[in-house]
Amino acid sequence: MRRHLMVLLGLLVGLSMVAAACGSDDDDAGGSGASDGADRPAIVVGAQDFGESKVLAEIYAQAFEAEGWDASVQELAGYRDILLGAFESGDVNFSAEYAASLLEYLNGDDKTEATGDVEETVGFLDGYLADNDLVALAAAPGVDTNAFVITRETADELGIESLSDLADKGGDLVLGAPSDCETNAFCLPGLESTYGLDLSANFVSIDDGPSRVSALEAGEIDIAVVFSSDSTIVAKDLVLLEDDQNLLAADNVLPVVSTEIDEAYGSELRDLADKISAKLTTEVLLDLNDQFDNDKRDAADIAKDWLEEEGLVS
Amino acid sequence: MTELADLLSDPRTWWGARGLVHRAGAHLELALLATAIAMALALPLGIAVGHRRRGGAVVAAVVNVGRSVPTYAVIAILFPITLRARFGDLGFWAGVGGLVLLALPPLFANTYVGMTEVDRSLVESARAMGLRPLQVVRSVELPVALPLVLTGVRTAAVQVMATATLASVFGYNALGSFLLEGLTQQDTAKLVTGAAAVSGLSVLTDAILGVAQRLATPWVPTRRRRFGRSDRAKSAPVVSGSALGPEGNIA
Repeated sequence: MRRHLMVLLGLLVGLSMVAAACGSDDDDAGGSGASDGADRPAIVVGAQDFGESKVLAEIYAQAFEAEGWDASVQELAGYRDILLGAFESGDVNFSAEYAASLLEYLNGDDKTEATGDVEETVGFLDGYLADNDLVALAAAPGVDTNAFVITRETADELGIESLSDLADKGGDLVLGAPSDCETNAFCLPGLESTYGLDLSANFVSIDDGPSRVSALEAGEIDIAVVFSSDSTIVAKDLVLLEDDQNLLAADNVLPVVSTEIDEAYGSELRDLADKISAKLTTEVLLDLNDQFDNDKRDAADIAKDWLEEEGLVS
Repeated sequence: MTELADLLSDPRTWWGARGLVHRAGAHLELALLATAIAMALALPLGIAVGHRRRGGAVVAAVVNVGRSVPTYAVIAILFPITLRARFGDLGFWAGVGGLVLLALPPLFANTYVGMTEVDRSLVESARAMGLRPLQVVRSVELPVALPLVLTGVRTAAVQVMATATLASVFGYNALGSFLLEGLTQQDTAKLVTGAAAVSGLSVLTDAILGVAQRLATPWVPTRRRRFGRSDRAKSAPVVSGSALGPEGNIA
């Protein structure tokens, strides 16, 4: 018995040493890991906990690496709140964000500034970013905003195709959305102010994305909030309700970088990031998500293939 | 601080479907049912296997699977299956399933070890006096094993109470919802309220079960001394999960 205990103890100590070693490696990458030659900080690209964010993070990081820069991806097991915390602590210093949602997150609960125009939205955003020592690069043409989807049966049965139809005929339907929907300007408050539809009494928060879609299919909820570039909309034949009164704003993919990195790499990084962003259209996002969600491919492989196809790396 | 005061003075924080009272009730419902089901499964099993003093390692290996799979993953896997349930709120049965698996290892391990640690000569004497196996279990082995069994119940109940927040990720409207809303809405007051409520319930559970344990086994001195014999230690391959803290709160 005693010998067994010793073996176990030895294993535990060994494991913790390995873990500690891994930990310190990460720290080196995240800190000022000076690449040889130019003494520039390493770029750590933050990825939020959904497929699109992971693939986009890989795309930018791999392109930077191909330039010979020290770049890596840091997966964050969470969303915007975690990402901004990681920016603040210096654990990440680059990320692909979304213009309108980021603006509404940073500007507080009580006002809505984002519009359907991406230039205008980023214009508002710049001030808030500067307060956080961040800079926005050029926005991509691709948009990934909140989308309200219902099943084909509900759509046919109630004759609902747009959010205006929903406001007319769907006041009793149950909405399933992430927990932030209560205060998100493009969710419950937006539905009420733009469409006069108050679903706050029939609202269920489900934060796990795939579970939200299963709950929709099982009829536990009638309307689900998903990303508009979510490939399951097509795969599951869901009806994306048309935003006929322009509630949803310009959620273009928007690379955000710390001022430290921006100053260290200057136009070199901006030019490369802009070149990549320009090719990220909504169709590209749908395709990348389809590969991640339905083909179950690895984010790094999807990114590598796309960069090669587009001739962004040789 | 004023935000917290504002939140707590708002009646909507307390009453209604999204209020503390309803959510704490839902949290208790989930945690208590999961603990009860796990007890109904693990205690008889632990007693039976412990009484035979055989097969403990095999059963422990099966039961311990519950500890190696993250509760979050179990709930995520069960969620689509349990959508067909005709009763129970969204996310409830998936939550129950995940929490039962979490509670099984400490319950089984403590019961089993408690039974096997009963002095063999005590059991032999009981048999020699003509007690039937069931009587031996009821009148000799169980009373001796009771302190450890109750320790297992206490450990499991506290773990479940703290981990039940996870069901809220899957639509279960309970105390975990405060944590998720606090995080995603940048509302520290909500986060603090939810965290305080969950830890309050966990501490309360521990305290109540601690008192119950002392009342049920008054002969056990508060500071227990162990008179373990080295050969007996061999029959205890399963160390309880009690040393492990409650697993993965969302925050």
